[in-house]
Amino acid sequence: MHTQDTDARSDSRDQEILALLKDYPMADASTGFYDQALARATHEGTRRQRNRWIMTGFGSALAAGVVLWLLGGFFLTAPDLPAPDKSIPGIAMTLEEPHTVNLVFASANALDDATLTVTLPDGVELAGFPGQREISWQTSLVEGRNYLPLELIALTPTGGEVLARLEHDNRGRTFRLRVIVS
Amino acid sequence: MSGETHEATFEKLVRPHFDRLYRLAFRLTGRKAEAEDLFQELLIRAFGKLDELVSISEPGPWLSRVMYNLFIDEQRRFARRRMHVVDEGFLSGEGLAGFAGDEDPERDQHRLEKLQQLDAALRQLSDEHRIIVLLHDTEGYKLSEIHELMNIPVGTVKSRLHRARARLREILSENGTFF
Repeated sequence: MHTQDTDARSDSRDQEILALLKDYPMADASTGFYDQALARATHEGTRRQRNRWIMTGFGSALAAGVVLWLLGGFFLTAPDLPAPDKSIPGIAMTLEEPHTVNLVFASANALDDATLTVTLPDGVELAGFPGQREISWQTSLVEGRNYLPLELIALTPTGGEVLARLEHDNRGRTFRLRVIVS
Repeated sequence: MSGETHEATFEKLVRPHFDRLYRLAFRLTGRKAEAEDLFQELLIRAFGKLDELVSISEPGPWLSRVMYNLFIDEQRRFARRRMHVVDEGFLSGEGLAGFAGDEDPERDQHRLEKLQQLDAALRQLSDEHRIIVLLHDTEGYKLSEIHELMNIPVGTVKSRLHRARARLREILSENGTFF
């Protein structure tokens, strides 16, 4: 009897889990997303056939702000000096609202096994990396433009500078992005 | 492809599969933003392989496989990146925002709480278990479809599904408030 009760309870629990899984909801795609994705695919797909990039994963939407940094041959020879303030690109963010900024590295050469390190100011986080001030990863750049989408979130109104340091073969260069929070 | 542009040919081949592909992307990633990115990347890759795509009799499964492989490649890269960072929850529970209740607020609330607990339990599964259980039990994929998508034998799909459900049951039972 005890076993039968246990089995019945177990069956009922399994059925409840299956019913919940069946109803497990999902977030719909943004309005107009399919059309935009299709348009981007045909545009971007054509471009990539000429200039394939492998820097980051999913490619990400390009609708947000874009910051372009030119590496050129300069990357391999220039001393790592900070740029004067007036040349630092900036973005304006709203407190606690995610903001995607697309960093574009235009490289004159393909670079394998480069290391990219992003350093964030206090109060600014990279989505998916809570509490991390510095995030590094190995990557490769192709000749031409390489995108890196960063989804930033300002948790305090302080703002500051995001540093993106690219290193390859014991040489490196640091790029700066000013973040203003309103 | 004569008589119409590459763009038009591409759209005709892929658009009928958009809903199913987006759902797959969401189940794989668990987040709307990442699902949209994965979907976008799939279309970009697929457009680059238009010549291959036009010769395929069933573009749906082919597109799904390309998407799954993109996701796995990205997971590998992401895992390497994560060597530098702390672990974090994977699913955001974002889908729960789309929870549609019926007309009984009390019952809705109760149901939502259970779904939230299910969401938390799913986060504790391994990726392979979470994906299989969501594809089979939520999206209604057949075992053979999962086998084709993930390129693993049907027997393996079955045993993973069995283990995933058992683990889910265990997690939800450990959580004394659920049953």
